Amino acid sequence: MTTDTTHCRDTGNSTAAFLASYAARLIASGATCIRLEKNVGRLAKEFGFQADISVMPRHIHLSLSDPDGNHIITAMAAVETLPVSFNIITRLSRLSWEVSDRHLTLDDTRLRFKAIMESDRAHALATTLLVAVSNAAFCGLFGGDLTAMAIVAIATLAGFRLKTLLTSKKVDFRVVAFLCAVVSSVLGATGLLFQIGTTPHIALGASVLYLVPGIAFLNSFSDMIYRHYLFSLYRFADAAVITCCLSAGLCTGMALMHTGMF
Amino acid sequence: MWTKILLDALLAAIAAIGFSAISRPPLRVIPVCALIAAIGHALRFWLMNDSFGAGLHIIAATLIAALTIGVLAVFLSPLTSTPAETCLFPSLLPMIPGIYAYKTFGGAAMCVLSHSREAFDFYFYQFALNGSTCVCILLCMVIGATLPIFLFEKISFQATRPGNNA
Repeated sequence: MTTDTTHCRDTGNSTAAFLASYAARLIASGATCIRLEKNVGRLAKEFGFQADISVMPRHIHLSLSDPDGNHIITAMAAVETLPVSFNIITRLSRLSWEVSDRHLTLDDTRLRFKAIMESDRAHALATTLLVAVSNAAFCGLFGGDLTAMAIVAIATLAGFRLKTLLTSKKVDFRVVAFLCAVVSSVLGATGLLFQIGTTPHIALGASVLYLVPGIAFLNSFSDMIYRHYLFSLYRFADAAVITCCLSAGLCTGMALMHTGMF
Repeated sequence: MWTKILLDALLAAIAAIGFSAISRPPLRVIPVCALIAAIGHALRFWLMNDSFGAGLHIIAATLIAALTIGVLAVFLSPLTSTPAETCLFPSLLPMIPGIYAYKTFGGAAMCVLSHSREAFDFYFYQFALNGSTCVCILLCMVIGATLPIFLFEKISFQATRPGNNA
């Protein structure tokens, strides 16, 4: 009896620790809370437990209990500040289904989890070019002419490159948003300053739009639908702070270039 | 008419490709995001146009377009074995009312800096008009786009299951 209890506790501890790390990585990569609950619940069920999760802004609190509810094991994991990665979310979701359908062991699951974490690489140069072109297209959607689109592409190229550099040096994301907005708006204001093109105001307005945390706002609303109000508010507040920082950066850039808004 | 609609669809597709690249999706998803964004944005463009479209207000047009994007994302995500959000969020981003947000912020800043009542009234009008429009568009976007995930929950959350796309 004692041996069984000890074995159950050891298995529970290692399962709880793994599931907490899995959950922390999933939420840090930009998954919605409902997806987190479903994936972790699926994994826990396959390993013979029932999971209850509290998703807090800075950490995950996970409790596992056996089907009778006799043994309760708790684990916590810190949530890092990481860039959104739909690749990670996709592969971790797929992993939870593989465990459930193919009955993988905990050790196999850990190995696959580690492999997924190590395989997530960003293509910095390709991403920078794509973002510059897409922000120029965004400017076109708002009615910007070709000159405005060219200005926005250059402003975005410089700003996004700076963002990549500062993020790699672990600079605070609020400072990054402010500095990138200053650089992009200074370059975006060249149309107004030198009277180039017919839509210089659109170029200026669109030059910082790549910094808008759209995914965070959308995730925030999705969490609200599923009544994860606390995490929803956290995501909304975080996105609002970034928006304020980029607005302040835009304002600074415009003040430096002596341009008006209307 | 068709040239304008196709140009709008093309620009939305390009914007969706770049915005999806920021959020590191699996490569197979990017063409799907571009297609969904092109259909959704072109539909909104057509719905809003007075001369050859339905002449709807931008808020109503955004709700219909976002709903369409949401439904397409839910039903196309099993084909790419990715969560519905992976197809949905980047496709929705080209509809973000960036210029309205810019004018809202500009109006607020110029209110503070204005020296006369007339100037203040003008900038406050800009702030209130653009701000309320921006908020309504954003709400319609998120409600319209996330509703299909909520309604078709089984499809949305089983899209990554191996063999589910067969």
